[in-house]
Amino acid sequence: MKIAVVGKGGSGKTTTSGVLARELARRGREVVALDCDTNANLGLSLGMGVETAEHLVSVREQLDAGEADHATSIPELLDRFGREGPDGLHFAVVARIEHSDPGCPCCGMSPHELLEALDDPGRTVIADLEAGIGTLTRVGPGAIDVLVVVVEPTEKSIDVAQRALELADERGIHEVLVVANRLELDDDLANLRTRFEDRDVVGVPDDAAIARADRAGESPMDTDPDSPAVTALRGLADRLGQLQPVA
Amino acid sequence: MRAAFAGKGGSGKSTIVGTVARLWARDGDGRTVVLDSDVMPGLAGALGIPPSDAPIPDEVVEASDVEGQPPFRLRTGLSAEQAVAQYAIEGPDDVLLVQLGKLRTDGVWTLRGSQHAFRQIARELPRDGWHVLGDLPGGTRQPFFGWGRFADVMVVVVEPTVKSFMTARRIGRLATEPDAPRVVAVANKVTSDADRRLVADETGLEVIAAIPADPAVRDADRRGLALVDHAPTGPATGAIGSLAVTLREMVS
Repeated sequence: MKIAVVGKGGSGKTTTSGVLARELARRGREVVALDCDTNANLGLSLGMGVETAEHLVSVREQLDAGEADHATSIPELLDRFGREGPDGLHFAVVARIEHSDPGCPCCGMSPHELLEALDDPGRTVIADLEAGIGTLTRVGPGAIDVLVVVVEPTEKSIDVAQRALELADERGIHEVLVVANRLELDDDLANLRTRFEDRDVVGVPDDAAIARADRAGESPMDTDPDSPAVTALRGLADRLGQLQPVA
Repeated sequence: MRAAFAGKGGSGKSTIVGTVARLWARDGDGRTVVLDSDVMPGLAGALGIPPSDAPIPDEVVEASDVEGQPPFRLRTGLSAEQAVAQYAIEGPDDVLLVQLGKLRTDGVWTLRGSQHAFRQIARELPRDGWHVLGDLPGGTRQPFFGWGRFADVMVVVVEPTVKSFMTARRIGRLATEPDAPRVVAVANKVTSDADRRLVADETGLEVIAAIPADPAVRDADRRGLALVDHAPTGPATGAIGSLAVTLREMVS
């Protein structure tokens, strides 16, 4: 199953991707978490620490600067630009680089092409996409099985999410989950459900636990696994489990 | 004054740019034009202008086949100043907004002509009588690849979070390239003096302002209102007001 997470920058995309990847890995899935964002931060949200997160980004930057050898296959790409993470998941930084070789499996493929090419049904891929909808405008059939759209109760965030949903329809992505994040006011969830009627909307409360983890650069799965927001995000794994049982 | 704002998505760039722009525009000393190069919605609401997807229309540009030059340029006889006068969206306090255009299902290619017009306006708008503020898309991709170069100063908006520090450090590294503008930081959503120092230490950048965490910002975002209209006397608005003055003094 290939899951992609999108939303406005700062909406909680990366936190959602990180918690979901960890939770699915804990439940026994073979998880590959992909950072497709050129401003790569997923390593932190997975709980791999700032040093490892920065290191993996710098390996990708070295490739861009022509200072590192290219990987010659997708498995080598995942290996060279990634490493094993907590709960047995595998993490890799695969964001686009500026100086790519067309056709090269490690840099000539944009994230949407890589997602298309990753085709192992036994594996669960979680891709944290570039902020906004750029990747979705290019995605082809079969690249994404489930799209998770993260939205906050602000006008801008809702606007970006609506654009993402239009694209999901146009691109034939059938499974779409809307994560209504950072809910503060009593009627936030009801309002978002009205704005996204006909969609499956899952609420995640505003939670100081997430802010604390962000400040510390840690995964809230490690610092506050039972806090309200983390519990709600972990619950997303139940929804995804209903879509496809573990092989 | 020409300033471009960068930083992680969600760090508060648009709120700050929108507020500084409105305050500069109120000063009345020259026109203030805001350049929005994000293909996602953002800046209009923060300025108090109803959001629209419309880019600069294609009629502004003409094809160009000069070696080494972009494939489109402002049409003959149309200066950057005239293009702004004709095609900018006018907002409250007479602030002007020029946007690259917003992306929907029809894809980026529809913005091709607009993109070159946009860059040319940023480059060629005269200094005399114009103040230019740029809101760059979140992240590290655009700041130094064309868009940000018009600026005298690049302001990185930084929250006291590790992800925000990482983004700021990346932008800071890119700024060591030749002909990059001077880079400074604004600490946003701070809750103490320690936060301001933390931003300085973690980014290695000079922090020219600290803006306090203020629920009014989120409130304005929820309603899609400009902060300066929603909370004209709030703590965040006040701190952004000081930043507006500081930025003006940095060039004069």
